[in-house]
Amino acid sequence: MNPSANAPQGVRAAGPEETETPRVSARVGLLADRDFVEVRFCGSGGQGLLLMGLILAVAANHDHRCVVQTESYGPEARGGHSRSDVIISDTAIDYPTLDSADLLVALSQEAADGYTRSLRREGILMYDSGKVTNPPSFPGMTIGVPFTRLATEETGRPQTTNVLTLGAVVGITGVVSVESLTKAVMEAVPAGTTEVNARALARGLALDYAEWMVDSC
Amino acid sequence: MDNRSTSAVLDSVAAMELWHSHLLREKIDQSSLLVQGNRACALGALDAGVRFFAGYPITPSSEIMEAMAYELPRVGGVFVQMEDEIASICACIGASLSGWLGMTATSGPGFSLMQEAIGYAIMVEAPLVIVDVMREGPSTGRVSAPSQGDVMQARWGTHGDHPAIVLAASNVADMYRLTMAAVRFAQRFRTPVTLLADEVVGHMRESFSPELVGRYRLTSGDFDFTPGYVHPDLAREVHPPHILGSEAHPHVTGCTHDETGFPTNDAKKSERFLHELYDKVTNHRDELCLYDVKNEGKGRVCVVAYGSCARSARAAWRLAELEGLPVEVLHLYTLFPLPIEVIQTVARRVEFMLIPELNLGQYAREVRKLAENWTTVISMGKIDGTLITPREILDQVTRLIGKYESV
Repeated sequence: MNPSANAPQGVRAAGPEETETPRVSARVGLLADRDFVEVRFCGSGGQGLLLMGLILAVAANHDHRCVVQTESYGPEARGGHSRSDVIISDTAIDYPTLDSADLLVALSQEAADGYTRSLRREGILMYDSGKVTNPPSFPGMTIGVPFTRLATEETGRPQTTNVLTLGAVVGITGVVSVESLTKAVMEAVPAGTTEVNARALARGLALDYAEWMVDSC
Repeated sequence: MDNRSTSAVLDSVAAMELWHSHLLREKIDQSSLLVQGNRACALGALDAGVRFFAGYPITPSSEIMEAMAYELPRVGGVFVQMEDEIASICACIGASLSGWLGMTATSGPGFSLMQEAIGYAIMVEAPLVIVDVMREGPSTGRVSAPSQGDVMQARWGTHGDHPAIVLAASNVADMYRLTMAAVRFAQRFRTPVTLLADEVVGHMRESFSPELVGRYRLTSGDFDFTPGYVHPDLAREVHPPHILGSEAHPHVTGCTHDETGFPTNDAKKSERFLHELYDKVTNHRDELCLYDVKNEGKGRVCVVAYGSCARSARAAWRLAELEGLPVEVLHLYTLFPLPIEVIQTVARRVEFMLIPELNLGQYAREVRKLAENWTTVISMGKIDGTLITPREILDQVTRLIGKYESV
């Protein structure tokens, strides 16, 4: 990807129009102390990837941080590529699209193959081990969780995979606070599904990543 | 997510964003909310007092129409989904001639269809706001690939010598405040105003608060929607409108006409009329030209940019600061009328002007005409459907300065 990936953190620094606002709640996890994080969700259409990006972006906004969310998808209702990128920063964000990801969440083999190269070497790769049967080679931290299977076990509905995955993402990395994520999920899910989504979210948040670490290639 | 269809889930996303839009107005103590560029545009239009929207959906502008369809009936406005873009803009002209202000939103293919009617609107002095969220072209192109390929179409898309007011948005806050500015300009100068946005600006979601948009912010007090109103400071330049449905029986024509509204073949009268149409815009360049300079007077290279490229330019400038490279950024919010003074002032003091654009140098040609007497103008075009990255701009800057050092 682009060499500016190696630029020091915070180069996209403060615009004068931004005002300082105290953070609402603590973030805990591998990426919690970053002042600039780029996250990419990718998979195939119909898996709820755009909604994942949107929920994470809303949560980051609830944390009073600057956020830009962009997306790309094919014309198909299901299948085809689907991708949602979220940039979260403590200061104003100039360049709006993802440069190189700190965290890549891949929910299909095709997406994992295609997008792992958009991940920076010291980034984190997370994938659905039920879908990505042939994990791409990546030197950094790699976590393979059967998200779809866990979601189906927990709620009986594979449609809750995206919420469970978001729970896992936030539980492990702390890119947003748990409080804000919970609020954002509850705002986003359709009426009547609050309870199952709350269960999926709790299951995701409780995941112990040590259990799912994959040896780096 | 139940057993609902994908579209139902997407509906809930839309509902969530609309809910956020409501929150924007209800909870001003909230520091910021996540809003999509297209929705911010609709919010800006509503806050400026636009109450008529006619359109035909097209990616990547559809969310503007969607939000207007949802909001207008709730505030006593009129929303019409027309059969195509030609009908859409004609409905807007009808609304404007009846004392309202018509607004529509589209993308390149629809914008092409609208061109004939835009000329008519200029001729009959109907205020309009047209939002063109640009995708890669020509023709159908790539529906969700960002582009800035419609810049010269926005200027010269319709035939004949005519004025044009063209604004370009680079972020979600711009979509809000420049829509308001477009409404104000359309209303004051009684002419169509085009707001251009790259696909990425329309589709991105960003932290945004209408209370924090800063510069160029307008409030509803800045607008006067009284039918037939012309601001006193423009009374000598803008022809008072004939309002359809009023007691008089006005005549409206796209033919060159005199002050009665009837066609004229008189050379003097028609020349004067066309000049008046032109001059009412170009005489007010100072008011119309919105721009912003970063690192003013300290650069050897000035990056002139608009839309998403201006964001890359700003990021490049921050990188340049770290590397000790003298770079200025001229961020243009108004592309036309040409900000002649602004560009020439910068051209006099820098060695290079670099113009990154998501087209093959459409605006660079305009800048070159204005600036080449004083500086070297370099066009940096890209048409692969991805954005120009800060590093690409910085590399070009480094090359330019390096070349200079070695001479």
